[in-house]
Amino acid sequence: MSSTEQGTSSAAPAEPTTAPESAAAPEVPESFYYVHGKDKVVHKVSAGALQHSALIHGMISNLGYTEEQAKANPFPFENIDGDILQMVVDWCNQHKGKPTPPEDTNLPKQKEKLFDLVLAVNYLEIKELLTYCCKQVAMMVKGKSPEEIREIWMIPTDAEDEAAEKEAKKRAGKEAAGETAAAAGDAK
Amino acid sequence: MSSDIENLTEKTENLSNDPIYDTNWCHMPDDIKLECIGKMDFNERMSLRCTAKAERSLVESKKIKFYECDIHRASDVLYDDGRNHYVSLTSKKWNSFSKTFENPNNAFKSMNYIWKIGVFNNLSIRSNDPAVKEELMNYSGKISAKHIELDCCDHEIVAAVLRKMNYDVESVTQVQNTGYWLTKDFKPTASLHNVAQILIDRDFNIGFTFQLSLNADGSFAEFLGHFVDRIVSKDEKTVRIRTNNPDRHILLQRGLDEVVKTTYRLQFFRLMVISAETKESEYDDDCKKWISQMDSEAYFDYDAFLNDFYYGVFQ
Repeated sequence: MSSTEQGTSSAAPAEPTTAPESAAAPEVPESFYYVHGKDKVVHKVSAGALQHSALIHGMISNLGYTEEQAKANPFPFENIDGDILQMVVDWCNQHKGKPTPPEDTNLPKQKEKLFDLVLAVNYLEIKELLTYCCKQVAMMVKGKSPEEIREIWMIPTDAEDEAAEKEAKKRAGKEAAGETAAAAGDAK
Repeated sequence: MSSDIENLTEKTENLSNDPIYDTNWCHMPDDIKLECIGKMDFNERMSLRCTAKAERSLVESKKIKFYECDIHRASDVLYDDGRNHYVSLTSKKWNSFSKTFENPNNAFKSMNYIWKIGVFNNLSIRSNDPAVKEELMNYSGKISAKHIELDCCDHEIVAAVLRKMNYDVESVTQVQNTGYWLTKDFKPTASLHNVAQILIDRDFNIGFTFQLSLNADGSFAEFLGHFVDRIVSKDEKTVRIRTNNPDRHILLQRGLDEVVKTTYRLQFFRLMVISAETKESEYDDDCKKWISQMDSEAYFDYDAFLNDFYYGVFQ
């Protein structure tokens, strides 16, 4: 993520920037929090941008973090890839304090990234972004036949599903038999 | 050989440069899948439904809104065998999907699914085919619609629809075509009190309206005779009866005014579930609007039309 007024990304938390002062009335400096994904890259995000995430907003409210504490302990999201978290942070910054538009053209078009984004957004409870993402997922199969959908989304056929289930059962049975034999060997 | 190795090396390099993603549709939790299915149009849902059993059950658990659903026999004139059924679905006012089925069983396979998942603004059934009746009567689910129009359907179809309706239905209109009244053992006058009985049995919500047009006489008198113990008030155009729910009454209105008289070729009736508190002065006596919905010719001014036509063509 490029450095912006609302946030920066770096390997270590950066110093918070203060909002520009208005000539009419001095604005209250904005609070910033820090998050990192699987890649440990820390993203600095304003409290306003994080309002989009019900999960993070709840964490902030419940934990009563001060800015210093937040800086020392970034919120860890080990289950989210760094580039996906970057997208989420960017979206939150872009839509900070703004009414969300009916369409979002900046969402990734590649299906793999989109599905990862959907999972991340669902986990972080960002309702509006989830709505956009789901719409984008639905658009992927617009006008497609069942076979095409199966191919695009790698949906196994019922026969493939059954075969995989049988295989898994067989494997589990073999493993159980192996464990029993090993236990019998140990007993001898 | 060397070029093959070069190609392979190039492919391997590309592979190592591309990030590897394993996440796909199958990794999505069901609630997310349902959210995505909710954003799909009808055709895409139908396609997804055909991909695998698991997807089918998911798709079938998600309701879809239709502006209109029209089920009718394709044409009694062109297809004299009467077996061609036509199903037309409109998801939005400008987005239609329609299909003609030569075998009604194929139409019903689709219809069972469509009834199951559909939430209709307008649902129109125009068929007196015994197969349609049988299928409707055997359908075990509920029908969810705001307005239902039944054309050329006998009272058994009407009763089947009323019994399978969800309580979100606001109105049902039954329009009768004279040609279909000749069906053997058909008792047109039974419709009105049968419908009222279903409304009583199922305790329909206040505001529900059932409109009926028919060309046989006797409904009004038969209704009075059937509900003699329930009558709250009556006059020549209205009958008000009590239901099993002390808060609700049923009002039967006969559509009669200075244009539509007792001599008119059709009779028009409206059954409404009203509050037991409703006063007689609050009745809507203007029947022109609801009669026009069923018979556009009732208030058509032929003299004015011919006059305009004559002056338009010859002057």
